Amino acid sequence: MPAGMKPLEKFLKKQTTALTRAGGFVGGVTDKASGGTGASRRRASLSRVVPFFRETSPESGQAREVFSPDSEDPPSWPSAAGTGPVSVPGSANSSGSGSGDVRSPSLSSDEQSSEASLVTEGGGTPLHPDTPDNLTLAVLDSVAGKRFGHCTETLLDDFMLTHPIFLTADRLQQVLLQQFSFEGDRGGREGERREEGRGGGRGGDEDAEAAMMDAAERKQAVLNVAFRYLDTYRELLQEEGERSNSFPKELYLCAVQELTRYPELVEDVLKLQRWTEILHCPSEEEKESRKKQVRPLFRHFRRIDACLQPREAFRGSDEIFCRVYTPDHSYVTIRSRLSCRVGEILALVREKLQYSEDQPVLPGNLILVAVTSAGEKAVFRPSDEAVFTTLGVNTHLFACEPSELDSLLPLPEEIHWSPGDSKLHDMSAEEVSNQLVVFDWELFSCVHEVEFVCYVFHGEQSRWRPLNLELVLQRCSEVQHWVATEILQCQSLPKRIQLLRKFIKIAALCKQQQDLLSFLAVVLGLDNPAVSRLRLTWEGLPGKFRKQFQQFESIADPSRNHKSYRDLITSLRPPLIPFTPLLLKDLTFLHESCKTFHGELVNFEKMHKVAEMVRIIRRYRSSQLAMDTETSPSHLQTKAYVRQLQVIDNQNLLFDMSCKLEPKDT
Amino acid sequence: MFSTNSYRSLIHSSRWTPAPRMPEQSNDYRVVVFGAGGVGKSSLVLRFVKGTFRDTYIPTVEDTYRQVISCDKSVCTLQITDTTGSHQFPAMQRLSISKGHAFILVYSITSRQSLEELKPIYQQVLAIKGTVESIPIMLVGNKSDEMAQREVETKEGEAQATSWKCAFMETSAKTNSNVKELFQELLSLEKKRDMSLSIDGKRSGKNKRADKLKGKCSIM
Repeated sequence: MPAGMKPLEKFLKKQTTALTRAGGFVGGVTDKASGGTGASRRRASLSRVVPFFRETSPESGQAREVFSPDSEDPPSWPSAAGTGPVSVPGSANSSGSGSGDVRSPSLSSDEQSSEASLVTEGGGTPLHPDTPDNLTLAVLDSVAGKRFGHCTETLLDDFMLTHPIFLTADRLQQVLLQQFSFEGDRGGREGERREEGRGGGRGGDEDAEAAMMDAAERKQAVLNVAFRYLDTYRELLQEEGERSNSFPKELYLCAVQELTRYPELVEDVLKLQRWTEILHCPSEEEKESRKKQVRPLFRHFRRIDACLQPREAFRGSDEIFCRVYTPDHSYVTIRSRLSCRVGEILALVREKLQYSEDQPVLPGNLILVAVTSAGEKAVFRPSDEAVFTTLGVNTHLFACEPSELDSLLPLPEEIHWSPGDSKLHDMSAEEVSNQLVVFDWELFSCVHEVEFVCYVFHGEQSRWRPLNLELVLQRCSEVQHWVATEILQCQSLPKRIQLLRKFIKIAALCKQQQDLLSFLAVVLGLDNPAVSRLRLTWEGLPGKFRKQFQQFESIADPSRNHKSYRDLITSLRPPLIPFTPLLLKDLTFLHESCKTFHGELVNFEKMHKVAEMVRIIRRYRSSQLAMDTETSPSHLQTKAYVRQLQVIDNQNLLFDMSCKLEPKDT
Repeated sequence: MFSTNSYRSLIHSSRWTPAPRMPEQSNDYRVVVFGAGGVGKSSLVLRFVKGTFRDTYIPTVEDTYRQVISCDKSVCTLQITDTTGSHQFPAMQRLSISKGHAFILVYSITSRQSLEELKPIYQQVLAIKGTVESIPIMLVGNKSDEMAQREVETKEGEAQATSWKCAFMETSAKTNSNVKELFQELLSLEKKRDMSLSIDGKRSGKNKRADKLKGKCSIM
C-alpha cells in the first residue's frame, strides 16, 4: 500500500477481515508471498484494486459495505441492460460456522443459486461438477444437439471463456481431435438414449444409418467447438511460435480423410485450411521487421507519433524498452518481451552492466525489486513473468544485491514542467474529456475477454497474462494522480479554483459520455486528501459546482457495496466503460467465494458465474464509440497531452505540496 | 499507485522519502555522450565507470551512470548519459541536451562517416542551448588503437574542434588510453564549478591553475 494512505489502509483491513469471514480461506495469513497458501495468494490480488476506492464513510460501520455471507444485501451484479441481478452463491448460503468453512457454499445451495443465476440466459441447469474431460464431452454433446437446445450457446460460451482455468490447451485440443476421429458408439449414455428413442426391434441398417448420423453430428460438433476455440484464442495461439497452427493442421488432416464419407464437411475443411494459414508462424523476415518495432510502454520511451496512433492490444511477445535502476540511481535500458521472466531481465541487466570475470569482486545474485515513488518495495521471484504491466505509475524497477535491498531509495519524481506551466489551462474541459473518453475506449477495447477471467485466476492454470487489463488499471491510477498533480502544481489560488471547476466539468462530461472509468478517477483524484484539504480553494468554488461534486462523490461512495454506483450503471445502456477496479473486485470476490475444484471435479457453476460477468462486460462494449478523426493542431496537442500525462504519485510529496499552497492552520 | 500481487513480498519502508528533489534543484553534473552507432560511446563510458572493456557490441538505448566526485569544497554526483547511436528517440535526445551540462561528441578514427554524423548533433546542441560559449564540449576520436584502419587524421579532428570552439582528444577504450583524462579534462572545462574525479580534494596538476576562477557549486 502506498505510504501515507492511512485511510485506505484501514479500508483494506476491513475488506480482508470480511473476506476471511466469508470463508474460502484456510487460516488468516498476512500477505507474504512465498509459502503462502493458495488462499492468501488470491487475496493479494484483491489488494491491487482496493486502493482505488474511497475511504469508507464513518457512519457505515464495520464491514457493512463489503461482501460477506452475513450481510443482508448480497452483492448484486446488475447488467447494463437491466435484466436483473445475479446473486452470487456465497450470499445465498449463510455458512453456519462462519469462518473457515471451506466447503463451497455453492454446492450446498446448488438448486437455489443455480436457478437464480440463470435468469439472464433462460432455462436449463448448468453442468454439474465433473472432470475437465467430461465437461468437454458434455459441451460437445450439447452442441451436437443431444441436450439443451437454446442453452447450448451459454454453455459453449461459459466453456470457451473459462476452460483455461481447468484445462490446458494441449488437453483440450487432444480431446477435440480424439472426439473427431472417434467412430464407435460411445456406449453408456448415447447408446441408452438411442435405445430409448425408438421402440425395439428395428433393422440393422437403420442402426448403422443412425450411427452415421450421430458420428456426423459429433464431427460437426467438434468442428463447431474447434472454430469457436480458434476464434476466441487466436491471439494466444499466435504466440505459440512454431506450434501455432499445429491444432488446426491436425484437425484438418483428420477431416480431409473423412471427406469421402462425410462430404458435407467440405466447407469446414476449407475453413480449417484457412485457419492453418492464419496461425502460420510468420517467416523469419516478417519476424525481423516486426522485431524492429519496439512498442512504447514506459513513459521515457513514448514518442508523440506513436501516441497519436490508435492503441493496439499488447501481447506477451511484444518487445518493449524498460529502464532498470541500480541502488545509486544509475540505470540501463533493456529491451525485452512483455512476457519475459524476471530471471531473463536480470540476465540482460547483468550483461549491460558488463559484469565480467576479471572483476575483483564477483557480483552476487541480483534481485529485481519494484520501488514505488514513496519508497515501498516488492521483490520479484526469478520465475515471475510479465511484470512490467503490474507496476504503478511511478514505480521503477531496481536490480540490486539482496543486501542492498533495505537501503534502496526511490527516485525523485520527475515531471518536466514547472508550476504554472501546465498546458491544461489552455485546453477546454470539452476537449480534454473527449480525449479522455476516446483513449479510455481504445484501452478498454484492447482488453480481450479472457483477460478478465485470467485476472482473477492469475497464477492458476491460466497461461495468458492480463496485460491490457493491467494497463487499464494503471491508466485509472494515472488519471487520479494527474488531477491531484495539476491542482497542486498550480500556485495561484484563483487559477487553482478555475482548475477545480474544470476538473468537475471534465468529470461531468465523462459521466455524460458514460465513461465511468475516467469519471470516477477524476472524482477520486479530487478526493485525494492532499487536494480535499485545500479549504480556500474549495471555498472559492461556486455553489453549483460544489453541489455537483457532492453528487459525484456520492456515486463513489462504497457503502452498501457501492450501491450508488451500481444503481447508476444499471440505468445506462451500452456503450459504456465501467469503473474497472470495481469490476475486478467483484470478479475477485466471486472467485474467492467458492472453490473452483472439488477434488478432481470442476465446479462448473462457478465457471458459469464468471462467464456471466464477462458477458455483461461484453454488453458494455457491444456498440462502438465513434472514432476520433479530427486533426487540427490544437486538437492533436490535447490528444498528445492526454496520452502522455506526467503525474506525481508519491502521496507524501503531494501532501507536502498541498501544505505549501495552504499551510496547516496552527 | 502501487500494486502487489501474489508473487511479491511487500516490505513497507517506514522511511519517509527525503525532501523531494525536482530536477532543477539537483546538483548533479550531467554529461551526455553522443555519436554514431558503434563508435565506442558505451565502451568509453564503461571503461571509465567500471574499468572494464568487452568486444561484443550491444546497442545502447539510453543508460546513465552516476559517480560521486569532488566539487568545490564538497561533493556532487557526476551523471554520465550514454545515448543511442540511432535516432529513435528525438524527444529523449532533446531532453538530455536541455538538461545536460557538458557534452562528449564521439566519432571513430576508423570512420569518416562517423565524424560527419556528429555535425547535426552539434547543431542541435547549439540550437537548444543557444550558445556553446560556456558549455564544455569535447570532440573525441575513439579507437586510436586501430592505427591501420585510420580514416580520420588527428589534424582533421583538431581542425573540426577548432571550428566548433571545443576541446579535442583521441582515445582508446580498448587499451584504456586517455579515457580518464577525457573526463578529467571535461570537468576542468566547466567554469562554474571546481570539480575533480578524486574525492579527497586533490586535484591533478592540470587543474592547479592560479588564474582559474573558483565558484561555488551553482544550482542549475
